[in-house]
Amino acid sequence: MPKLHLRRFAPAAALAVALLVLAACGGEYPNSTFSKNTELNEGAVFLWDRMMLLGTIVFVVVEVLLVYTIFKFRRREGGPAPRQIHGNAALEIAWTAIPALILVFLAVPTVRIIFENQRKAPAEALQVEVIGHQWWWEFRYPQYGITTANELYLPIGKTVNFSLRTRDVLHSFWVPQLGGKRDLISNRVNHIWFTPKATMEPTALNGACVEYCGSSHANMRFRTFTVSPADFEKWVAHQKTVALGSTAAAAADSLAKTAVKPTPIRTASVLPAPSLAPQPDSSASAGVWAFPADKIAAYAWPQTPLPAIAFDETRLAAGDPRAGRALLTNPANLGKAPCLTCHVIKGETNYVNDDQAKGPNLTHFGSRHTFGAGLYRNDAKSLALWIKNAPAMKPGVSMPTFGAGEYNALIKQIVPASAGLDDRQIADIVAYLLSLK
Amino acid sequence: MASSAATPTHAGAASHSSEQSGLWSWLTTVDHKKIGILYLYTALFYLLVGGLEAVLIRTQLAKPNLSLVSADFYNQLFTMHGTTMVFLVVMPLSAAFFNYLIPLQIGARDVAFPRLNAFSYWVYALGGLFITLPIFWGLAPDGGWFAYAPLSGPTYGGGYNMDFWVIGLQVLGISSLAAAFNFITTIINMRAPGMTLMRMPMFTWMSFVVQFLVILAFPVITAALFFLQFDRFFGTQFYEVAAGGDPLLWQHLFWVFGHPEVYILILPAFGLVSEVLPTHSRKPLFGYNAMAYSGIMIGFLGFGVWAHHMFAVGMGPVADSIFAVATMLIGLPTGVKIFNWIATMYGGSLRFPVAMKFAIGLIAMFTIGGISGVMHSSPPSDLQQTDTYFIVAHFHYVLYGGAMMGIFAGIYHYFPKMTGRFMSESLGNWQFWLNFIGLNLTFFPMHFSGMLGMPRRIYTYDAGQGWDLFNMMSTVGTYMLLVAGLLFAYNFFRSKKHGAPAGSDPWGAPTLEWSIPSPPPDYNFAQIPEVTSRYPMWDLKAPDRTAGIEHSHPDAAVIAEAHAVPMHEETERRTAKELGIPMPFNTIKPFLVALGIIILFSGLIVLHIGNFPLAMATMLGGGAFMVGSLYAWLTSPLE
Repeated sequence: MPKLHLRRFAPAAALAVALLVLAACGGEYPNSTFSKNTELNEGAVFLWDRMMLLGTIVFVVVEVLLVYTIFKFRRREGGPAPRQIHGNAALEIAWTAIPALILVFLAVPTVRIIFENQRKAPAEALQVEVIGHQWWWEFRYPQYGITTANELYLPIGKTVNFSLRTRDVLHSFWVPQLGGKRDLISNRVNHIWFTPKATMEPTALNGACVEYCGSSHANMRFRTFTVSPADFEKWVAHQKTVALGSTAAAAADSLAKTAVKPTPIRTASVLPAPSLAPQPDSSASAGVWAFPADKIAAYAWPQTPLPAIAFDETRLAAGDPRAGRALLTNPANLGKAPCLTCHVIKGETNYVNDDQAKGPNLTHFGSRHTFGAGLYRNDAKSLALWIKNAPAMKPGVSMPTFGAGEYNALIKQIVPASAGLDDRQIADIVAYLLSLK
Repeated sequence: MASSAATPTHAGAASHSSEQSGLWSWLTTVDHKKIGILYLYTALFYLLVGGLEAVLIRTQLAKPNLSLVSADFYNQLFTMHGTTMVFLVVMPLSAAFFNYLIPLQIGARDVAFPRLNAFSYWVYALGGLFITLPIFWGLAPDGGWFAYAPLSGPTYGGGYNMDFWVIGLQVLGISSLAAAFNFITTIINMRAPGMTLMRMPMFTWMSFVVQFLVILAFPVITAALFFLQFDRFFGTQFYEVAAGGDPLLWQHLFWVFGHPEVYILILPAFGLVSEVLPTHSRKPLFGYNAMAYSGIMIGFLGFGVWAHHMFAVGMGPVADSIFAVATMLIGLPTGVKIFNWIATMYGGSLRFPVAMKFAIGLIAMFTIGGISGVMHSSPPSDLQQTDTYFIVAHFHYVLYGGAMMGIFAGIYHYFPKMTGRFMSESLGNWQFWLNFIGLNLTFFPMHFSGMLGMPRRIYTYDAGQGWDLFNMMSTVGTYMLLVAGLLFAYNFFRSKKHGAPAGSDPWGAPTLEWSIPSPPPDYNFAQIPEVTSRYPMWDLKAPDRTAGIEHSHPDAAVIAEAHAVPMHEETERRTAKELGIPMPFNTIKPFLVALGIIILFSGLIVLHIGNFPLAMATMLGGGAFMVGSLYAWLTSPLE
């Protein structure tokens, strides 16, 4: 073997690094941490840039010295014996003092930005409660009495103050494009705040849990929609109402009218059904407003492959939301686990409130774009498979297998036909859920 | 090539009777060299285990949305990859060198407590099996190597998985603590006359620092583990959320241990490189004092920076600032080491056997890990980095580019001493370059995937996130590392039998271990040498190199008491009996005590299964067996 290979590999290595840097600059990186979308991240990027600069200088100095030494002082036959140097105080002080000086240039802005970031949030900030669950996100807007899940709406240009807590193990809240992360810690309330800049475009952004939290840690994702203040107002007004589908269905029921299939309607001002959930004022009429699907970039649409669960898709078109509603709300129809013992649908007869619910609040489920904590597109087929056998679609999920004849991985049993739902019933439930605009 | 300097006499040819090399001899040995070799083989076996875990992890992540392994099995894989590499590979590989080298480097015939040494090894070997085997039943620990409460507690981690982790780590701690006290006692008391602390070889120095880190850091994790163990098995509520327990207590305790642990992993490699570089540069270590003091400084500061692992928990601006600045300070002594190594080579007469290549590789690669380490020290920026692949990139540059490169340098450098034969240089070159390219291909792209938003510890990721290319590169690199590892194993075992013979001092090294035959006889030194400078072998063979440094002779009384003779090379290989050197008896008792400890702790698993009488029987039986064996050990004579 030749003695030294460095010469041969150095250009290749340099080329590889250059390509990598080019790739990193040129491609589309929807979760980049280098955006300047918030003042919080501007501080992070400022420090990153400075560290990159200083770090690169140190790196180049060290590696150049090293490579120079390797080539310059190779042993040559008959060469002179090396001069024996045991140390040099001046040099050693220099290479302690100069790095120390470099660190001052890093430490001073670091401390400044730490204190800036951790000031008290402005009093007029939008308050959002983030509650972590294994493995999904609950978002509450206490100023508006709104509870939703896995899709976070933020008005552009307004400071948002998050208070973070968890119902079980530790989680961590992170939207890379908007700033650094903050852990959700049991028995504590944590805080972080930032302001999506007024110059930001309305965008769909990906978020994720970044503290390992068990089986489906990787599947604990969420979407953040930054929207204009006017759209945010529309969204709030809509979210404050009860779900349109449910009230329409309720009205239909009470009138005992048959063959009237409730279709999603644009406006409604119906009295809410009795519920344990806190009832906000919903007398004002409000249109459905959700982030427009055609404005959601490809990266924000889940591409999780659907598992092979047999389902008769022709049933979906014929799904009857009224029948679905009856199944969903009536305990007799679903054995001991009707949906509303784990989920809350504002306007329906709930068995639990938001603080007790094990699963996401489904009030305006039909106007969400994703479900399963950002894991699947909210379309009829995905939803049908989910209801049929959720544990097969998301490891460890606490939602049981409802499909008759399906294997329930949670209790390691096949669901008997008598205790499970058939495809027609599932199609009815899907129709009802999707009508909850 | 250095092999030309080898004397092909009796190298590696010492015949062994079955009494010296049979299975029983390995079970009962108290010889620090044989124990060192046991550590080496066991740790290399676990390196293969941890490496295969990494290969499975990277194969699963090669592309988005793959389902080669299940989520739960993936979680076991990454937990065990971390646990294995930290506790069953890098620490024991360092321990292999502590065992083999420290007595040889300081001119001693064994460690201070040879039987305790055997005990440390057996606790490690059995504890390692205890924590590794459950993966075959899908019961391997799955709470991460950091085991954050409350996920590791009984409420959210109620399976058997984390039982094995909690118990296994507790047991491994016993091994590390016993070994640390042993080496501290050895280094303080058993140095050859004239070897002052400031004349110790740098590897011994760094090992000395590491032992203090172990005895200060391991009691903290021991306490943390006891809390968790009591929560899991006896219903206490230290970390139980429902009872008002505080998960941050675990985090603080874990990282008060966990950060010094990083230096426990890296300082021995620094020590090995500090032996390799001067030898192959024909120049003494530049700034010996600064190198020793910076090691101490790193160890000292290492206890004041733990919370930089926790910037995301929200400690408030004052704590964040303090831990940020303290963390930055650690860069200074580390930088001193890097510059001093380069200065050692500068102006030298360099040759590049594989050992030297790995040593230089450590300097080049650790620098990258060091710089990204300083980047995490700034909390506002770290909040974007923490728990992403950027961190994974960072600590693999430190642990693979640093610790493992240093350990490979050490193995290639000391293989001739351990076996009397060289490892193959051409296979070694292939391994080095595959390692070097493979490690950069695996870990450099992780800087990108991390800063582009990819979280750690996820068993899958969605398509279209901009991470596909980087993940594919990392996976290809991992396979290169696998090939490099297999090449190393082949080289190692082939060279043991067929390597070119090496003499006692094949590299022209400056320290005592090279003054005795290779492999060293069981008594090490027939006559204890008297040391008059830092570089006794160069005093003997190249006096012009050491003319400029301080020489002094120890007190005549000290020399007489140690029966020491002037510095010399030993070439004759005789038996301890012929020389009249008393050797400690081989004994099975340390193994039995270790076995008793494992049985005792296994009772906790039985308790979890719910069989109370059997659990009591196992624990009492194991305890009685342990105490009985210990009694027999303590009442039998050493030699």
